[in-house]
Parts: sequence; C-alpha cells; structure tokens
Amino acid sequence: MSRMAVLAFCLAVPALVWGIAQGGLPPYLLHILALACTYAIPAIGLNIMLGYAGLVCLGHAAFVGLGAYTLGILAVDHGWSFWGALPLAAVVAGVAGGALGAVTLRLRTHFFMIATLAFGLVLHAVMNNWEELTRGPVGLPGIPRPEGFTLLGLDFAFRRLPDFAAFAVGATAVAFAISALLIRSDFGRMLVAIRQDETLAAAKGVNVTAGKVLAFAIGAAIAGAGGAVKAAFLRVSAPASFEYLEGINLVLIVIIGGAGRLSGPLLGALLFVALPEYLRVAAEWRLVFFGVALVMLMRFAPEGLAGILARVFRRRAAAA
Amino acid sequence: MSKLHRRTFVATLAAGLAGAGGARAQGGTATLGILTALSGPLAAPGRFQMNGFNLARDELNEAGGIEVGGRRLRVELKVYDTRGNPAEGASSMQRLTTVDRVPVVLGELSSGVVPAVAPIAEENEVPFIMTVPTGPGLTKQRNRWVFRVNAHNDMLGKALADFVAQRDWKPIAFIAWNNDAGRGGVRGMQEALPQGFPIAYTGYFNVGEVDFSAHITNIRNSGAKAVMLFMDEEPGSLAISQIRAAGLPVQLIGTLAMGSDRFLARLDAQRLNGMVQYNAFPPNAPIPRIQAFSQRYRARFNEEAHGFAAQSYDGLMVAAAAIRAAGSLQGSRIRDALARIEHQGVTGLIKFDAEGQAHPPVYVTEWCADGKRSILYPAELAAGCGAG
Amino acid sequence: MLAFAEQAVNGLMMGSIYVFVALGMMLIYGVMHVLNFAHGALFMLGGYVAQTIFMRVFDNYLLAVAGAVLFLILIGALLERGVFAPLRGNLRNQVIASLGLVLVIQNTVVAVFGPNALQFPVQATRATVQLGPLSFAVQHLLIIAVGAACVAALFAFLHLTKLGTALRAVSQNPRGALVVGIDVEATHKLAFALSMALAAIGGALLGPLFLVFPQMGDLPLVKGLAGIVLGGMGSIPGAVLGGLAIGVIEATSTLVLPTDWKDVVVFCTIVVVLLLRPQGLFGLRTRDDHG
Repeated sequence: MSRMAVLAFCLAVPALVWGIAQGGLPPYLLHILALACTYAIPAIGLNIMLGYAGLVCLGHAAFVGLGAYTLGILAVDHGWSFWGALPLAAVVAGVAGGALGAVTLRLRTHFFMIATLAFGLVLHAVMNNWEELTRGPVGLPGIPRPEGFTLLGLDFAFRRLPDFAAFAVGATAVAFAISALLIRSDFGRMLVAIRQDETLAAAKGVNVTAGKVLAFAIGAAIAGAGGAVKAAFLRVSAPASFEYLEGINLVLIVIIGGAGRLSGPLLGALLFVALPEYLRVAAEWRLVFFGVALVMLMRFAPEGLAGILARVFRRRAAAA
Repeated sequence: MSKLHRRTFVATLAAGLAGAGGARAQGGTATLGILTALSGPLAAPGRFQMNGFNLARDELNEAGGIEVGGRRLRVELKVYDTRGNPAEGASSMQRLTTVDRVPVVLGELSSGVVPAVAPIAEENEVPFIMTVPTGPGLTKQRNRWVFRVNAHNDMLGKALADFVAQRDWKPIAFIAWNNDAGRGGVRGMQEALPQGFPIAYTGYFNVGEVDFSAHITNIRNSGAKAVMLFMDEEPGSLAISQIRAAGLPVQLIGTLAMGSDRFLARLDAQRLNGMVQYNAFPPNAPIPRIQAFSQRYRARFNEEAHGFAAQSYDGLMVAAAAIRAAGSLQGSRIRDALARIEHQGVTGLIKFDAEGQAHPPVYVTEWCADGKRSILYPAELAAGCGAG
Repeated sequence: MLAFAEQAVNGLMMGSIYVFVALGMMLIYGVMHVLNFAHGALFMLGGYVAQTIFMRVFDNYLLAVAGAVLFLILIGALLERGVFAPLRGNLRNQVIASLGLVLVIQNTVVAVFGPNALQFPVQATRATVQLGPLSFAVQHLLIIAVGAACVAALFAFLHLTKLGTALRAVSQNPRGALVVGIDVEATHKLAFALSMALAAIGGALLGPLFLVFPQMGDLPLVKGLAGIVLGGMGSIPGAVLGGLAIGVIEATSTLVLPTDWKDVVVFCTIVVVLLLRPQGLFGLRTRDDHG
C-alpha cells in the first residue's frame, strides 16, 4: 500500500464509522451492512489461508463458531464483558487453527479439503450435542452487545443498531488493515512464494511448514474475532450458524470476491449478503440464481470480482 | 474497495429496497409479517404453517377484513424465508419491521432462530407471535414483545409423562431428531417423568437420516418396554415401519402429528394399533371448533388439517383480534391488546400469561385397531375410537 | 457378540449406499482428478427422476431405474461439457464450481418437486426376510445385491474391455495414455457417464426403502468421502471396502457411544487415517494433486 493509500484509509474509515453512527441510514441497510461485516471478517481470515497461502479450508465456519461460543459462554454464563472476551475468542480460534494446521498441512489438496471439512463437521456436532456447555441446537441466547465506554472524553456506545453497525465496520477495517500489513510484510511475501512454488521456496531456505501453520493460526484467529462480532450482533450463538454449508459459503465469498486480493473478501461478503437480500422475492430460486452465478463466475471470470474490477480499471487507464 | 463503487452499490441496494417497500400497509390494507421456512430441511412443516396463515387471511378478507378505527382493512401477508438460520431470521425481522413496517410478525419454526429475531421485535416495538417453536426458554427472555400460541416442550411432555408413569411403561427408550425439536422433546419428557423413572436408551439421528436399524438393535438389547419418537411424520413413519418389521415388542409413543389420517396413509392400522401420542390438535376430535376447522381446511387444501396449520391459523386470528381491539396498526397498542386478549381459537382458549405464553390444551390420543383414534387425555374431553 | 454382529450387518446395508457414492466420485476422480462435491445432489436427483417415472409414467421399477440412469447420464454430459471440461487443470475452480452446482440442483429440485419428502412405494421390495431371530427388509438385501453386482460389472468393464482399459490407463498416466493414442477426452466423458449411472442407481435404490427428499444425498456424500479417504484416494477396491467399513464403524460405534456422536466417530476416523496413513488402506497413488 502506498503511503497515500494508508493515509486515505486512516482518514476514510473513521469518517465512515462516524457517518454510520450518526444514524441517518435506514435501519435495514445498517443491518445488512453489519451482517456483511460478520461475513467479511472471517472471509478476510480465510483469504490469508486460501488466497495467499493457497489452502482451501472447508471448515472455516468452525473457527467462527469457536469465537462465537467463547464470547457466548464467557459473557452469558460467567459475566465477562465483550471487550474481555473478544481477545480470548480470537486466541481460542487461533490456537485451534494452529493445531489443525500443524496436523493437516502435510496433506495434499483434496485430502486437506476433506480433513478440514471433517474438522468443521466434528465441531458442529460438538456445538449441537454438548448441551451442558452450549445449550445444544436451540443455541445460547441473550448474548449482550459490546458495553459502552468513555475514551479521551468521548462516549462510545454499541447497543443501538447504528452504533453497532459502525462498530462492525470499524472492526472489519481493523481486520482488513491487519491482513494488508501482514500481506505486505516479509511474511506475506513468504506465503506467496510458498503458494507459487513450494519446493523452490523450501530450497531458498523458507520454513514452509511454519509459514503455513502461522497463516492458518492467524486466519483462524481473525475468524474467531469475527465470530464474536457475529454472536454479539445476532445476540445468539446457535449451531445452525456454523454448519458446514456456512464454511462452504465463506469459501464462495472469498472466491467470488477474488481470492488473493485484499479487497476480495469485502466485495464477496457484500455480494453474498446483499444479493440474496436484494433477490429475496424469488424464495428458493434465489439460491439457484446464486449457484448459477457462481458456476458462471468460475467458468468465465475465476479471478473473482476484485479481478474483474482491476481489469476494468486497467483498461480504462490504458485508454486514457 | 474504492469509495466510488461502494457508493454505487449502496445506491443500487437502496433503490431495490425502495421498490420492495412499496408493498407496505397503505390504502385499505393491513400487511402482516410472516417468518417461515420455504426452503431447507424445515420446508415441509413450513408448508403446513403457511396453509394455516393463508386460510386465516382468506377467511378474514371474505368477512370484509379487519375493522380498525372505523375502516375495514384487507389483510395481506408479507412472507420471508428464514431457512432455520438465525442470521436469515434477523435480516427478515429487520426488513419486516423497518422496511415493510408491518404492525405484527408471526410464525417461525426453529427455536434456534427466535433468540436472534426477538430482540429486533423489541427494538422496533413490533409484537412477535410464535406459532410452532417449542423451546421452553424462548418466552423466558423477559421480552414483552414476544408471544407464543402453541404449547412448548415442557407442557407437551407433562401431558404424556403422567400417562406413561401411570401405565408403568418402564424402562422407556427415546429416538429423537438431533435438532431443537428432538433434543428439546427428550429434555422436556425427562423433566416431566417422575424422579428416577428408568430410561433405557436415548438415540439421536440427524435430520435426513432414515435408517433406524442401529437404534432398533440397541433398543432390543436395552430391554425397553416403550419407545418414544421425537420427530415429525416422515421419519416417524419410517421408524415405526422399521420397528414393526424388526418385531420389537414395545409400546410406541408418538409426538405431535402422529395421530392423524395423513400419518395412517403412510403406514396402516395394524402397525399403528395401540400407539399413543401427544397432540395439540386431534383433527377429528368431537369438538365443534376443531371439526369446523378440519372441514374448511379440507375444502381448501384437499387434505387433513395439520396441527401447525391450526396453531398458525389461531396465531393470525389472535393478531387480527388484537388489532381490532387496539383499534390501531401501532405495534405498541397491539402488544398491549395481545397481553389482555382472550380468544377462543381452534386449538383452544388463547390467553397469554405474563411471559407471553398461551396455554392451549394438550391431548393424548391412542390408535384403535380400525385405524381411528380415541382421546385419552384430558379427561374431560376423553372420547372413544373415531374421535382423535 | 450377537449385538455386534447385528450392528455389523446394519452397517453393511448403509455401507452399500456409501459405496455407490464413493465409487461414483472415484471414477471421476480417477481420470479427471477432481472431487465432484455435487455428487450427493446428483444422487438425490436420480431418486427423484426414478420416483417421478415410477409414480407418473410407467409403474415399473426397472424402467424407472433405467430412466433415471439415462436422465442422469444426459445431465452428466451437460455438466462435463459445460462446467468441468472448460475448468480442466484448475482443481480449485472445479471444486468450487461443483459446490455451486449443489446449490443449483438442490434448490431447483425444491422449486420443482416441492420441499416435502415423496413416497416411492415399490410393493415387491416391502417384504421382510427372517434370518434367525432377526429380520431384514428385502430392499436392504436388494441394495447389497445390486451394489455387489454393480461393483462386479464395473470391475469386469475396467479390466476386460478396451474402453475400460483406456479408462484405467488415463487414470494411471494421462500423458502416457495420450502418447499411445488413447482419446483422453472420450475417457472423461465415459467416466462421467458411468459415475452418473451409479448415482442414479443408488438414488433409485435408496428411495423405496426410505423416502425421496431434497437433502437425501447430503449424508451419503460426506460418508462416501469418508469411505474414499479410508480406502485410499484413487483406488476402486479401496472405495468399495472403505464405504462398507464406514457403514460398519458408525453402526457398531453406537454400541459403546451415544448415537449422536457417531458422525464424530466417522469424521475422527477420517482425520486419524489421513494422518497415519494418508494413502488410505489401499491407496496406491503417489502422484501429487495439481491446482
């Protein structure tokens, strides 16, 4: 990122957050925006694994669920504040991600997909079956929105929808910034080198396994934080939100948006959440439409939306 | 993402919403919100729920609509599909209450969706009336805007538990869906049975799983005298046919929709003979309001009435009665009217307690040898074969 | 011990269904080297087509199964041409496209046939057979028998016919097959057709025993994948034994563990097998995945 872009980001995001919190937007739009953020944050995590390290993880929803249940159990059963539980949600998911990565990363593509799918299914079963801890399929209700606080003489509140939507956008921006910094760092360059040619990277002295495990742990931790945001938004953590289809949805979001591009998860999440909402009238046909759109995209524009946009801009720049 | 594109995107979305918002209550109509499942694994019960709502809407409109403040309003329904997913439920509720601006929302099937939906109803001051979810905790979240017309798991379990204990069917075994309905049912029954009542086996299966041979083997080896099935008609009919085919000498105990002619059509009188089940709506009960409803339902949909349809019919009728009593389409007034209402519905008297829970009667019916049912419980409504 | 034997037989019955799914996926994987995650949805589609033909057109179970096979082969040809062939060489895009197909097929079925489970009453298969103290549905035995027959026919085809040999050649070494003049394109189409036929037979067999409903392919898909991993990716005997083993493992696990944990047992088995013996019990393949 150029220095100008960093500056623009640092100015634009607080302005956007402040604008949203002013409450001028229709509540439904805010709701969709916040919901898109709850998909965008885990997708940003998945993009690090899938887009940059080339690891197709089909069980990503499990990490989101780990974060959501960590917040839910700590806040509802043990009276923790959201701010205390949020880092722990990220840590729990990150440790699980690192552990899963450490044991599965030596598997080749298809095996790796199946292993991560199995991991997601196991975690979903635990959320559903371990009723003493998770309340079972009915879910853990009554999860509070983040508590307000005063900082530098300014009051911050998050319970109302406009405030929470602003918080969700801010949280997404933070996750985006983390992933951008990471990708532009030596670590990011190492991941890309591994994706492009693992053998060559290893020959050049890159610790391939450590790099991948770290990418997995970071991606999972971001997903866990996203899960906490999602649980606080919906005010319930239920297994239905973390079933294996949701994990596949996250892969679709990253791919449709554009894997391996920083803006990909954001575009993908907006499209994934907003398009079905927009097409709501079509009932079951909307899912058919979404599936067809996905297949067509794979067929004709596999680089995703971010790729298409980049191409359009480049062409326009060339014409000018 | 560049700012330019975000702006165009928001503009497109907002334009779409404005178009959709045109359907809101205006002129001579009152648009009520419905949450249900039109797709996904819960779509089958969702259809019965919608039948109930549609029948109630049409009857209200044929009678000239709802009278509100001297005007007669036609009833329209705005239906959203939540697919049993909390996030979909929350979006739908947000859209119903702030875009469509409906005065009241009804329905939902999944107990897992309700905790995500209820706070939005509260924030936007719109009453929400459940007609199917059975999770007992849903009406205990101190949310004044939430109501439920149907009996929850603990109430259903209570009716049957007395009966099971009295007949001494022990030890008992359970086969249950591994979802909110199945696990909640088992839990409700365990709590309702007398302390220390022996439970020989509890088997859970995933929605969509249809092979019960592993459970049957385990039940045979557990020595259970009775098997209770927490699932709906489809897996229920398969479980019973497999239990009977295996020659298991057990008393069968069923749940909501297993005492119906629809269920009989999936099996036969011989295999059902002697089975008992709890039921919120015995379609042939010799109770005039039930028989009248069953007739109207058959005339409209050409099939036997279903409990979910009856509950949902009652839900919409209660909402209409509350709107009438409130004389307004304002959510808070309708809420206050609901809290006070006493409505004689198809499923029974609907009167909400302080938690918003109604207490309709729960029946226990038993299959006779000729494929008809008798009503065993409640005692004051007990009736012979052909009544249930 | 009797309980164990009984559960093992129960497991073999479900395992036979998993074998149908595992074999179908393995055939495509063998030559095209891609896992088709839409296979479960196609399996379900086979059940629907057979049910529709049986209830509305012919009232003959055999014709219904044959009709389902033909219909699915047609669909398979369209998918191969329109989706999988153009994406060749990019494993990730193929897998993702197949995930999109799941959405398309499942929801189209809901839209066309409705969300309810449909009955598929084939009277001849409703009878039961008494074996000692136990009884089994004829359809259960039919599934095992037809499964065994299909496996035998597939083996004979792959090993005794020229086409079958070509198919094996491509799956072992596509470049070498090209060099010796095998039409690799044609083998892809053939593998797809065979895979679709197996899916159709499987769906049409499962329907009468249970019901036909939009999600009926979901669990067999995941369990079939488990069977593939257990047996070894790319091995056809492995897919057969792996599928059966998954059925037996999940049925016998219920003797010692609560039944709601049986899927966990299956999935943990996959992960353990992958870690200790990633080539599976019979996997011979050492070639790297590409993509």
